[in-house]
Amino acid sequence: MINGTIFKQTLRANVKLWLIFTIVLTLLQVVMVAVFDASTLADVSHLVEGTPLAGLLGQSTLLSMLASTFYSIHGVIFPIIYIIMTANSLIASQVDRGSMAYLLSTPTKRSTIIVTQAFYLIVALVVMFFIETVAGLITIQVFQSETDIMVADYVMLNVGLFLLMFAISGISFFFSSYCNLTKNSLAFGAGIPIAFFLFQLLSSVDDSLNVLSYFTINALFDTTAILEGENYWWKLIILLGIGIVLYIASLEVFKRKDLPL
Amino acid sequence: MAMIELHNVTKDYGERRGIFNINLSIETGEAFGFVGTNGAGKTTTIRHLMGFLKPNNGTVKVKNLDAWDDAAEIKQWIGYIPGEIAFPDVSTGWDFIHQQAELLHVTDLSYANQLIERLQLDPSANIKRMSKGMKQKTAIVVALMADSPILILDEPTTGLDPLMRTEFIQIIKEEKANGKTIFMSSHMFEEIEETCDKVAMIKEGKIVAITPISIITSNENQRFIIEFCNEQECSRFIQEKFDSISISHTTVSINIENNTLNEFLSILSTYQFDNLTEQKHTLQEQFYNLYAGGQSND
Repeated sequence: MINGTIFKQTLRANVKLWLIFTIVLTLLQVVMVAVFDASTLADVSHLVEGTPLAGLLGQSTLLSMLASTFYSIHGVIFPIIYIIMTANSLIASQVDRGSMAYLLSTPTKRSTIIVTQAFYLIVALVVMFFIETVAGLITIQVFQSETDIMVADYVMLNVGLFLLMFAISGISFFFSSYCNLTKNSLAFGAGIPIAFFLFQLLSSVDDSLNVLSYFTINALFDTTAILEGENYWWKLIILLGIGIVLYIASLEVFKRKDLPL
Repeated sequence: MAMIELHNVTKDYGERRGIFNINLSIETGEAFGFVGTNGAGKTTTIRHLMGFLKPNNGTVKVKNLDAWDDAAEIKQWIGYIPGEIAFPDVSTGWDFIHQQAELLHVTDLSYANQLIERLQLDPSANIKRMSKGMKQKTAIVVALMADSPILILDEPTTGLDPLMRTEFIQIIKEEKANGKTIFMSSHMFEEIEETCDKVAMIKEGKIVAITPISIITSNENQRFIIEFCNEQECSRFIQEKFDSISISHTTVSINIENNTLNEFLSILSTYQFDNLTEQKHTLQEQFYNLYAGGQSND
């Protein structure tokens, strides 16, 4: 099912990009946790009171601050950019350039190629978020040892963020498998995740735009529900389901389509 | 047994583009040439052999396995040079050769090394900076190194200099002598003439002729062009009993049967002429006839 040779080559070709994004994501998380100071934040929220930005800041605990910053902006958009670039290069760009002909001129099944490339993308995301989560936990121990933190909630925020990225990577990977041209793969594989991100961002800025949250899967990563102990499991399960369905769909379309190689 | 068999293969892309009702049968050990203009359907046909495209109609079989359903299986017997060379994202030629060797389950690189030497390839070069010819040589090495019984070559000599083209033709002749089945498309008529047993011509997606090379190259007639010194000599010669056509005031084209060649030469020696050239019956000539004539057998 997974071809070691292809996996090695994919790893070699993509590890640099992965490393850059993992470092940036981890540093952002570490810095945000490290500089948190409940009293400063209170001042800032006082400052923006009554403006649309107030909604972004919310309450002033470490986790709620992270929920309205890292877990809705930085931690979402950076991995999305990583996913868009990687998913396209894993399949569509190789079909578009024609280099896929070399993999398929060997006794390698199309399904093996898709499963291997999907495996790489998923593992890359798992490891990326694992590093970010562990670095965040260490930073909390070092810089916020006096602050009262629900570690379980913190971990669930990261699990939720990962599941959102898993679903989004399914979208980008599907269009990478479906389209023969990079430009089409990117139009959908990048356009849809970015639209979802913007819808979610806008809906949180102003109540009048709240309706937009019904048109984005990013709303299924419900940080408020996680922090306030509401029932959020079904939303995460939907994200997981979207990802699984899209990865299976990627496999099926790639097996059946004509390849202009 | 037919090694490669296309039966009524149609792939219609609309607007008369595509391939239509292709029937080809390539026997084991046969070298089969495939010629046609740009866009005639050569590469589309080859993509079907490789299982990259699924025909709308008809079947493509390699060693009796369906080229689409059993695409991965048939590759264990096929060495392939794509029409457009685009390498994966690796750094050097060696990286690429080693990766393909792993995917092809080739452990012994001695034949690859032999080819590298004969083609004067330097695989340690950065693959992105390679010249067109270097890339083509790399593709040739990778296609041949597994010693596969079937070779599918889509314009394999593109970008090679004349010396390397000669070397490549020599290599292909050796492969053929070793019993390989070869399917090769090309723009270069000489290389098809030199290497292949049979040639198929494709025009607007249809096969217009399948001819054994021996019929094309050897012929009972020979044609000469004679350039005389002056008009008198020329018009005097036309009176002779030969089957001749005057091309200009001083030039004549003449068809001679092989058994009258001596007679022709002795008569010609009584004339004053500047130039005598033999016109070979070549694939190129037949190609031009078929393409200019526009006759297709549908």
